[in-house]
Amino acid sequence: MTEKTEEKSLLREVWDALSFSEIRTAMRVALKHMFVKPVTFQYPREKRTIPDAHRGALGLLRYDDGTERCVGCDLCEAACPSRCIKVVSAENPERPLSRYATEFYIDITKCVFCGYCVEACPVNALAMTKMYEYSTADKRQLIFDKKRLYEIGEKHIEDAKRYLYAHNQEKNDTESLQYRYKFPHQVAGLTPPQDS
Amino acid sequence: MALKPVTSPDTEAPTIQLTIDGQPVQTKAGVSLYDVISETGKIIPAMCYHYTFDPFGSCGMCLVMVEGKKAPVRSCTAKAEGGMQVRTEGDDLFQARKKAVEKHLTIHPLDCPVCDADGHCELQDMAFQHGVTNLVNAKPKGLPEDRRSLVLDFNMNRCILCGECINICKDVQMVDALQFFKKEGTTHVVAKGDEGLVCEFCGDCLAVCPVGAITNKYSKYIYKPWQLKKTTSTCAYCADGCQMSIETSGKAVQRVTSPLSWKNKWGDRAETAKGHGGLCVRGRFGFQYIDSKERLGMPLVRTEEGFVPRSWFEVMDAVVGQMKAIKTQHGPNAIAGLITARCTNEELYLFQKLMRAAIGTSQVDSSARYGHLNFTRALQHAAGVGRMMNGYEEITKANVLLLIGTDITETNPVASLRVKEAIRVYGAQVIVATSRLTNIAKLASHPLPIAAGSERWLIQALVKAAVEEDLVDEAATTATPEAFAALKAAVAGLSWEALTARTGVSREAAVEAVRLYAEAPKAVILCAEGVTRQIEGYASVLNLVDLAWVTGKLTRPGCGVNALPEEANEQGAVDMGVASELLPGQALYADEDARTKFATAWRCSLPPPDPSATLMEILKRCREGRIKALYLVGENPLATLPASTGVQEALEKVQLLICQDPFLTETGRLAHVVLPATTFAEKDGTFTNLEGKVNRVRPALEPYEEARPDWEIFAALGTALGYPMEYEAAQDVQREIMKLLPGYYNLGEPRPVTARPEGYLRDGYVREVAARYAANTDRTETDQAVRPFALTIGQVLYHSGKLSARASGLLQLYPSKGRLQMNPEDLAQLQLGPQDVVRVTSTRGSVELRTGPNHDLARGTCFFPDHFNEPPVKDLAECVVDPTTGVPAFKFTHVAIEKL
Repeated sequence: MTEKTEEKSLLREVWDALSFSEIRTAMRVALKHMFVKPVTFQYPREKRTIPDAHRGALGLLRYDDGTERCVGCDLCEAACPSRCIKVVSAENPERPLSRYATEFYIDITKCVFCGYCVEACPVNALAMTKMYEYSTADKRQLIFDKKRLYEIGEKHIEDAKRYLYAHNQEKNDTESLQYRYKFPHQVAGLTPPQDS
Repeated sequence: MALKPVTSPDTEAPTIQLTIDGQPVQTKAGVSLYDVISETGKIIPAMCYHYTFDPFGSCGMCLVMVEGKKAPVRSCTAKAEGGMQVRTEGDDLFQARKKAVEKHLTIHPLDCPVCDADGHCELQDMAFQHGVTNLVNAKPKGLPEDRRSLVLDFNMNRCILCGECINICKDVQMVDALQFFKKEGTTHVVAKGDEGLVCEFCGDCLAVCPVGAITNKYSKYIYKPWQLKKTTSTCAYCADGCQMSIETSGKAVQRVTSPLSWKNKWGDRAETAKGHGGLCVRGRFGFQYIDSKERLGMPLVRTEEGFVPRSWFEVMDAVVGQMKAIKTQHGPNAIAGLITARCTNEELYLFQKLMRAAIGTSQVDSSARYGHLNFTRALQHAAGVGRMMNGYEEITKANVLLLIGTDITETNPVASLRVKEAIRVYGAQVIVATSRLTNIAKLASHPLPIAAGSERWLIQALVKAAVEEDLVDEAATTATPEAFAALKAAVAGLSWEALTARTGVSREAAVEAVRLYAEAPKAVILCAEGVTRQIEGYASVLNLVDLAWVTGKLTRPGCGVNALPEEANEQGAVDMGVASELLPGQALYADEDARTKFATAWRCSLPPPDPSATLMEILKRCREGRIKALYLVGENPLATLPASTGVQEALEKVQLLICQDPFLTETGRLAHVVLPATTFAEKDGTFTNLEGKVNRVRPALEPYEEARPDWEIFAALGTALGYPMEYEAAQDVQREIMKLLPGYYNLGEPRPVTARPEGYLRDGYVREVAARYAANTDRTETDQAVRPFALTIGQVLYHSGKLSARASGLLQLYPSKGRLQMNPEDLAQLQLGPQDVVRVTSTRGSVELRTGPNHDLARGTCFFPDHFNEPPVKDLAECVVDPTTGVPAFKFTHVAIEKL
């Protein structure tokens, strides 16, 4: 910038004005970029590849046999710093001794995407996905209920699993299945109780 | 806080000195070492310890090093000895405790996320504190859950066998319903006999369980401790005044917990004489009515199409308009009011102020009229004391307890623990005069079986025995010789044959009982519904006072005459002057000075005294058409009083019947206007318990829909009627009461009372006494032959009034069975099976119902709970109104039973 400050000679100024020097410089840049690969994306036609550890919308997961992983322990609610989770739990009528969430709400407008809830979950029922397109004109749609969360989980199951691997919470091998315990019968291979 | 030996806190023991972590400590010999250490403020973890019972020593956490011993010692079961050198800290002890935690955890399932105790679990805390992260050889037990019992589920996988539940059940509750039981190689905690629980369901086992092994069926899996808002309040069922925590999430009550819990396990054993902090089944499991769907959410107005919800504004406008019209047309005495004693002190005070100052009538009454007023009026008359003379501590520390006409474990379960502690810890001798084999009679040293409904004659027999056997206290009787001579003459007129025939108690038995009572240094009389709610209740209480007086027990500290009230704030209702003959502070309404004092304070003129305007008189005036408007607050006379009293006719006759209640009651269905009131859980205020202790009631929830606290409705009504009652909060009313009755709140501590019977004994006693011991009219022989069964309508443990019949949890435990309970031998004699219908006939009509066996009932007696009117057994009873206090007695009658 320093050389710019020195005063131009009058002759130079006249020459620059007559030869459209500013336009030439600008056109040079424009013409040069016509042959360079662009850095921006043409969103929404083009989309960025998102890393596995990305913290996007939350989803609820099921085991491979289709049972809900969530046991309604409410630890996610306890861990949530923005208090956007609400869990209502009850005893599972089909499987005595086990508890499940009858209602599950995440107010995604309040969520700060810290991922603490995923970390707190003892059964890895919660995971963050790569989904980020949920803008809506109706703010009520942004309070995700249990149904919506399971839909997200189902749709983005692969992303969710990759998130858990990336955060070192779930391993894709048999040894770590112990960590992914199902409650409570599967703990150390218990048999379900006979209801008397 | 003095330290006492663990097993018997009152024993004198030599003082010893020992050293704990280099600090010299003085204590009494025989104390548990753990208690000595916890007294110094050091906290050693202990999972099986609770101060309310003797140390058990099963968890192995309270390890300390004692000089001279090689291995760590369990401090809870070790006795403190002189010269002990104790070390409580150190890495070796930490490691030893860690090992103990690991030992528990190896067989404990790691199902914390689904466990209700998660976050409120001592084992979890201990594992965290000791850094237990890696468990080798974890072997959970894999047992099915024991769901055989009502209310409680036992998950033995989680049990750490600390024995706290068994100990508290055995030592504190003296119910002894739980035991260890070995099944297929593992030890379980099961109900006695390895069956479903048969107990009082107090839930203390649930409260002290340090893990989640005992869970509550009513709130299982629906909460985590951190989700709940905890509000400390006072129970609204009986008058014991138990403190409880109402735990809510949102608009729902999830559970009720007690101060008793494994969390506060450190305390002085001697302090339990005032209460152990637990609850009974009603308090702990009877909360469902608070957020019940049956609650009234809007004011209702009766129209031709039935009840229509209306806004408060419209309804109040209509009510005030009609009240004003009735007042101008017929005078203030055309309006009367009845209020339940489940309201707070502030509301009771405001109600009588509304009736007296704003409306100008003294026709007010409360449900204390059903019995408690018999006691307070009699005691006030004879001894100048208007409540129970002894508090919990004095009951616990009495040498002899005389229980007459009370089924204390059923009506006042937590107060009954004081009697149980007197028996167990202080070795009291307990005389229980009862016609039923009640739970307390089973524990009593001297059960005294009497004929049903003969309490009043038994009291006379006891007085007669005391006088005849010269078991009298010289000092007490010689001060007023005329009174004693009059009493002597009065009891001389009674014949032992007649008394024995009526009560079934021989002279010898009466003498033995009264000798025990008279010779004890500290003797307490406890009576309840069997005396105060029966015929001649007022006279019977005075006769009990006579018994205490002649034996010198009336004025001696630690002795006294007591009657247990039924509803939560009956004592408060009497103290707040919600009776036509009383003003706040139990000043007599007929007393000109007292009336002037309150008239000045309230800036109004008070109506002239009307001594007969009690409950039954108010109903009579309604029937006669003299009362045009009746304001009922929480009262349900239609479901309470027998039909023969003409209560339905009275309620139908009034022009304006206003019912203010959280629920639409039987009486409410007759009302013209129904106002939705709140339950105690949505109110701010105070309750006065049976000791005279003022306990705070705090709002745990916002009022249900449009319901409002009663005091707000009273204040709005008063102001609308042209008498400004501008209170912003219940505390404003409280401040007014404080000004008028200085010392009433007394920081929640009951004021000690002293009986002053001298005035009564010198003046008036001689005139009255003869009538009290006059031979009462007895049943004729033909009547005995026609109606041989004595029917008692009374309370059961699982219910309190009609309110608890709205709590689904209690209905599961004790549903309305519609069965007449009878002695099994009587059933066999009448050849009655469970499906047979009998016709029960009294002088007032007959009812058809089934029967059921009750082994506690004596032959020739039958029982029906007064909480249910399906079928209307209450209508069989005769209603006899006490001539002095106007208390209606309608809980006892004689019936004939025939098989259909």
